[in-house]
Amino acid sequence: MNHLPQAWGRPRDDVYGAYDNSHFQTAGPNQHTQSPIVTGTSVVAAKFKDGVVIASDNLASYGSLARFTDVKRLRKFNENVVVGFGGDVSDMQYLDRLLNSLDIRENYASADDPLNAKNLHTYLAKVMYKRRSDFNPLWNHLLIAGLDGEAKPFLASADLLGTTFSSPTLATGFGAHLAQPIMRRTIPDEASVEKVSKDEAVKLVKECMKVLFYRDARSMDKYSIAVITKEGVELSEDEKLENQSWAFAEQIRGYGTQTA
Amino acid sequence: MFRNNYDNDSVTFSPQGRIFQVEYAQEAVKQGSVVVGIVSKTHAVLAAIKRNAEELSSYQKKIIPIDSHFGVALAGLASDARVLSNFMKQQSLSSRLTYDRAIPLSDITSRIADRAQTNTQQYGRRPYGVGLLIAGVDAKGPHLFEFQPSGVTQEMVACGIGARSQMARTYLERHLDEFESSSREELIKHALRALKESLSQDKELTVDNTSVGIGGLDESFVLYEGQDLTEWLDATFENREGGGDEGGDAMETDS
Amino acid sequence: MTSIGTGYDLSNSVFSPDGRNFQVEYAVKAVENGGTAVGIRCKDGIVLALEKLVTSKLLKSGANKRIATVDRNVGIVSSGLLPDGRHFVSRARDEAAAWRQQYKAPIPTSSLADRMGSYVQAYTLYSSVRPFGVTSIIGGWDAEAELPVDGQVGSGPKVGSGGKKEGAKHGGPFLYMIEPSGLYWGYYGAATGKGRQIAKSELEKLNLVDGEMSLEQGVKEAARIIYIAHDDNKDKEFELEMTWISAISGPTKGKHEEVPKELREEAEKLAKKALEGDDDDEEEMQE
Repeated sequence: MNHLPQAWGRPRDDVYGAYDNSHFQTAGPNQHTQSPIVTGTSVVAAKFKDGVVIASDNLASYGSLARFTDVKRLRKFNENVVVGFGGDVSDMQYLDRLLNSLDIRENYASADDPLNAKNLHTYLAKVMYKRRSDFNPLWNHLLIAGLDGEAKPFLASADLLGTTFSSPTLATGFGAHLAQPIMRRTIPDEASVEKVSKDEAVKLVKECMKVLFYRDARSMDKYSIAVITKEGVELSEDEKLENQSWAFAEQIRGYGTQTA
Repeated sequence: MFRNNYDNDSVTFSPQGRIFQVEYAQEAVKQGSVVVGIVSKTHAVLAAIKRNAEELSSYQKKIIPIDSHFGVALAGLASDARVLSNFMKQQSLSSRLTYDRAIPLSDITSRIADRAQTNTQQYGRRPYGVGLLIAGVDAKGPHLFEFQPSGVTQEMVACGIGARSQMARTYLERHLDEFESSSREELIKHALRALKESLSQDKELTVDNTSVGIGGLDESFVLYEGQDLTEWLDATFENREGGGDEGGDAMETDS
Repeated sequence: MTSIGTGYDLSNSVFSPDGRNFQVEYAVKAVENGGTAVGIRCKDGIVLALEKLVTSKLLKSGANKRIATVDRNVGIVSSGLLPDGRHFVSRARDEAAAWRQQYKAPIPTSSLADRMGSYVQAYTLYSSVRPFGVTSIIGGWDAEAELPVDGQVGSGPKVGSGGKKEGAKHGGPFLYMIEPSGLYWGYYGAATGKGRQIAKSELEKLNLVDGEMSLEQGVKEAARIIYIAHDDNKDKEFELEMTWISAISGPTKGKHEEVPKELREEAEKLAKKALEGDDDDEEEMQE
């Protein structure tokens, strides 16, 4: 009888024939996440003279199915920072817990010197880059909005590849194609941030959310919006797109059922 | 060989609840030459007496800059201080790398305190034989912390540790109310005078045996030694003999 | 103390012939010299208070906080060897973080006390370590409302988690005290450190068992008790450090925080007044 450890607890070869070992090996190299599962779509954000506005809708899609309709994708870190999450929702939840434990630890050490948006962006970018370098990315595109160490508006992104980017206006996913050009009309560069008021910035971002709802099939008309200034975070998670006009849809030609 | 049965190691309490090994380690701090630290509203200053083993040898390092925003002064076993300061440099750098933030001084202090505590509760280890003054500036302003081998850390307005440091502390206590509003130069003078108090009668502060480290709200922590100190020493001890000789050189050095 | 010197007190984890572990008893001695610490379990929260003796004029006043937070809703105050207290707190924070990793919710105060009791007890088992030279008071508020699970992003199901009795009360204030042996009890009012005897007798007068003491009143009583306990030690200066934890609907919103300066100062004023009153009484009696 075979007494080698790999034969322990297995059927005897002399009775049942040679053991089929094939299931011990996987077919190829180790694989981690290849694609996201439940996803959130665009996050849009714009700086203005006193702070940052950031918004994202409340939908989590399962492929093309609008699976969860009350998913809050803007997460407040502390009284100074909001993180907006595009991409995989379970990875977002993981990051949310990571940030929660960071916040708890941060309160132990230095309650009156909280991490600002710049600190948090540096940290999250490191997390994202580490994970992609392990070939195990967190399938998200993050926008980090708040104020930096000098209390100036701060807005930057970090994505699943560990890429970082900063700009007066930022958008993830479809928003990068559809909302970014609209926001750049008002805020083309860093200098123009100074000329934009909070109300103008909010109006601009809301306008972008509407365009995204019109043109992005994985979006919905309920959304969250946050304004971060020196006074803190104003977060509203229960907004609804107003003054929708679908008249333009009449003019669309080229696909779908058409009679004329 | 031992004074009593309870002082062999740091994992034995005496019947009074004392840990003698830790107390002996505190004695090692008192063997080291004196260092003082003071904070004002805007600056944190460290000053130290350096010893040399013999005439021809170099002087012992007493103040170690850790990061651009703070440094430490040591009294006691210098090699223990090197272990701790290397650790602090690593932690400090990792804070800058991970968060792009200068590590808060209270934070770095408690990290070495936790390490020191471990050495007092496990067999086969010994407590660190060094005391540190950690001084510098973080987001909350200037700070000065005292670290002891027992793992006790305290935030101070002013502090002196090392040989004969009681004299320095007496000076500091007497001038306690002046520190907060002191200017950078006044603070340095106070530190040097406190240092002088702890020196034996026949000794003087010279450019060779003195070290000064300064951090401020808008300036990095910098270590000053040698000729850079001449002006401060002259200004602080105006009427001392021979003080003027070194004065000439000082004008040529930049600081 | 009769067995001192017979050799059974030289190593941790060794029993003497009469069944005592001397090293643990000596660790308790270290506690008995520390500043007085008290904890009060009130109707709507917990108060923790500590007498911090000022050992040097050069100390920065108001800095050097010693009552630590664990997670967000628990406070720990220790008496005894300061560095051991920090070690204790650091472990408690690790336990709380590990609990969150596992259960995606804050650790209940009772579970934290239990885990810390086990941890401290483990330091009495081996000759390679020494027992903790601290007695620690753990106070916490367990949320009375259903908390969102960590990482929750939607509203979730309309019904809450199962296994709960209809109309039953959940959460509330909890107070525990852990000794160097690892032994711990739940308390209405706990005291440790040098002035513990006086503090205990004062706590007993408060009828805490009735559960009628309000948090605000608790703050005042805690301050008064620390002042009374310090009275024997009059020549030494001290600072009073106080923290509290209320219900989510209360002043601290379920978090462990420092008692606001104004409230603390008011409590201190009353405490001093009460002390003076006592002195007058004594003088009158002597006359």
